[in-house]
Amino acid sequence: MKPFLALVKRDLTLGLRRKSQIYQPLVFQLLVVTMFPLGLGSGAKTLALIAPAVIWILALLASLLTLDQIFKNDYDDGSVESYVLTSYPLPLSVMAKVMAHWLLSGLPLVLFSPIIGVLLHLPSSSYGILMLSLLIGTPIFSFMGSIGSALTMSLKHGGLLLTILVMPLLTPVLIFGASAVVESALGNSAAQALLLLSGLLILSITLIPFAAAAAIKINLE
Amino acid sequence: MPIITAQDISCQRGNFLLFKPVSFSLDFGQSLLISGPNGIGKTTVLESIAGLRGLQQGRLSFKDQDLSKFKDDWFENSLYIGHKTGNKKELNCLENLRSFLQIQGIEVLEPQAEQALEQVGLAGYEYQMAGSLSAGQKKRLALARLLLVDFSIWILDEPFVNLDVSGCDWLLSVLDNHVKNNGILLITAHDNKVIKNKVTRELILEPAEL
Repeated sequence: MKPFLALVKRDLTLGLRRKSQIYQPLVFQLLVVTMFPLGLGSGAKTLALIAPAVIWILALLASLLTLDQIFKNDYDDGSVESYVLTSYPLPLSVMAKVMAHWLLSGLPLVLFSPIIGVLLHLPSSSYGILMLSLLIGTPIFSFMGSIGSALTMSLKHGGLLLTILVMPLLTPVLIFGASAVVESALGNSAAQALLLLSGLLILSITLIPFAAAAAIKINLE
Repeated sequence: MPIITAQDISCQRGNFLLFKPVSFSLDFGQSLLISGPNGIGKTTVLESIAGLRGLQQGRLSFKDQDLSKFKDDWFENSLYIGHKTGNKKELNCLENLRSFLQIQGIEVLEPQAEQALEQVGLAGYEYQMAGSLSAGQKKRLALARLLLVDFSIWILDEPFVNLDVSGCDWLLSVLDNHVKNNGILLITAHDNKVIKNKVTRELILEPAEL
């Protein structure tokens, strides 16, 4: 088995046994989204208006809950050494870690998003674009998070620092993602926003593994 | 020409050198014990040699190649086991052993892994989660990797910690065998008396002058 697949397989096994990485973001989303109608106290129209932004912000916040785990556990128990002390390229191992993280935490958010949409009276024409935009956007969260996690893995409580580091980098994703859904709700084409989002994803895939690999090495010094 | 040579190497913590620069060279079939008081930097120097961190000064070479530039060959010939065992508590012993090595590109078949577990005294624990093992058993699980790789250089940081008497005896004989079969061993140990008589040479780290 290739080291890449071995790492993905190990992380998926761990995630499925721990489970919290999968259901925590979903439960968080569900709890917060039920507060909106109560707090706003207004009808379906207002909710539908804010729905795209709320769904995307929730996806962002829910992702942040698990981002620090990408490398922290491996640092704490020492298994980070298994992919640092090898001739297999570290950026590829970073890619494997990010992929496993997205499959466990990002993909469930994409699949769960229609339920959040219903709770916020999102116009029925926007569901396709909503899921598509999240499908492109959530992997970027995992990629950006890998840098933050690599930088903070040696800290006891690095969660807040990671949020401060990563949040500014994620604002373009939020802007394009939410605007894609808004445009589709208004009946316009969402192509422009989705293309920009795809551009960000490609940029993340090509550059971030190198940045995160460098961050891991700095942290081990 | 020795296989490993270190020239005036030292490590840093904060802005201070941890110990006086040291030099050594090792050939196949030789072993080195690194000793010195607590906090002198034994772990740090081993981590630097293993490739986890950089050296503050000096030059480390493997087969005449500068290790700060060419590490692939080194990684394919050396195995490092440190204080952190690298075991995942949600994986059982077999999965831990196999996945750790697979991530390093080493394929281990299940019967081989089972045999290694038996040799380290973990027979019957194959499907037990590593999180429920005792500290000594966790160490044994990590040390089982030694039996499954065919690397000539072993870098072990305090491998005897947490092991019981029979575990220490077993490890001593494994290390002895490795060196006799032309392996290279770099080791730190608290209980220096036993291991001291077995190694080719000892390197004592002394505090650097400020």
